[in-house]
Amino acid sequence: MARVAREMVERAGINVDTLLELLVKNASAELTTFYYYTILRVNLIGLEGEGIKEIAETARIEDRNHFEALVPRIYELGGQLPADMKEFHDVSACPPASLPKNPTDVKAMLTVLVEAERCAVRGYTQICNMTAGKDHRTYDLSLAILNEEIEHESWFSEFLGEGPSGHYLRRGETSPFVRKFLE
Amino acid sequence: MHWFTTVELAQYDGRNGAPAYIAYAGTVYDATHSFLWQGGRHQVLHAAGVDLTGSLDQAPHGADLLARLPVIGRLRERMDNG
Repeated sequence: MARVAREMVERAGINVDTLLELLVKNASAELTTFYYYTILRVNLIGLEGEGIKEIAETARIEDRNHFEALVPRIYELGGQLPADMKEFHDVSACPPASLPKNPTDVKAMLTVLVEAERCAVRGYTQICNMTAGKDHRTYDLSLAILNEEIEHESWFSEFLGEGPSGHYLRRGETSPFVRKFLE
Repeated sequence: MHWFTTVELAQYDGRNGAPAYIAYAGTVYDATHSFLWQGGRHQVLHAAGVDLTGSLDQAPHGADLLARLPVIGRLRERMDNG
C-alpha cells in the first residue's frame, strides 16, 4: 500500500473503501468482459460477422489493458483483488456479456457489445465524478479508460446503425489513452 | 397493483434472501433478479428497499434503465405527497 497516497485521498474527503470497492468491481468487469468478448469474437463469422471481428478484438484487448492498469491503483490504495475467480465474476460492475442464443444474429451480438461498453462508460463516469479534484491519480486513470470505453461504444453503436461514430479504427497499437499506465 | 408504504418497502432490501425492490417517482420496481442489484446493493453506493427518487440525479444513467425492471407496485407516500 502507498500509505501517504491513500492518506491524501482520504484527506480530500473520499471514502477510500467505497472507492476501492468500485475499482475492484470495475476491474472485475474488465476481466470478465475480456473473457466473454473472446467467445463473442470467435463467433463473429460470415459476411457480416467478419466485418466486426477486428473491432471486437481491439475492444477485447483494450478491456484487458484496463484491468491491468487498474490493478496497481487498487493495491496502492490498500485494496486487493478477490482470491476466488467465481467471486471475481460475481462482483463485476457489469452483467456478463454472454453469447446471444443465436450467434449468427449479428445485431444481437452488437447489442451485447454496445450494452457492455455503455455499462463501462457509466461506471468510469461515476468514478471520475467521485474523484475529480480529489484523487488525481485515480481520476487520471479512470478518465483514460473512459476515453477508450466511449470509443468502443461509438464503434459498436455505429455498426448498429445509430449514426456515425466520428472515429476510425485503431491503426497499430491499442489503448492510446491507457498506454501510459501500462509502461 | 400493490401500494407500498416506505416501511413496507424497507423490508425488501435484497439481503438474506429477501426480494430487492426499489422505488422511483412513485413506482416500485423489482430488482431481485437484476445482476446489478445482487444482494440488494447497486454499484456500492445504493441499497434496495428505499425510494431512490432523489438519488438518480447523481447516477450516471437516467430512469430509462429502471424501465427494464418489472413494475411491482406504487409507493403510497410518494403519491400522497404529489
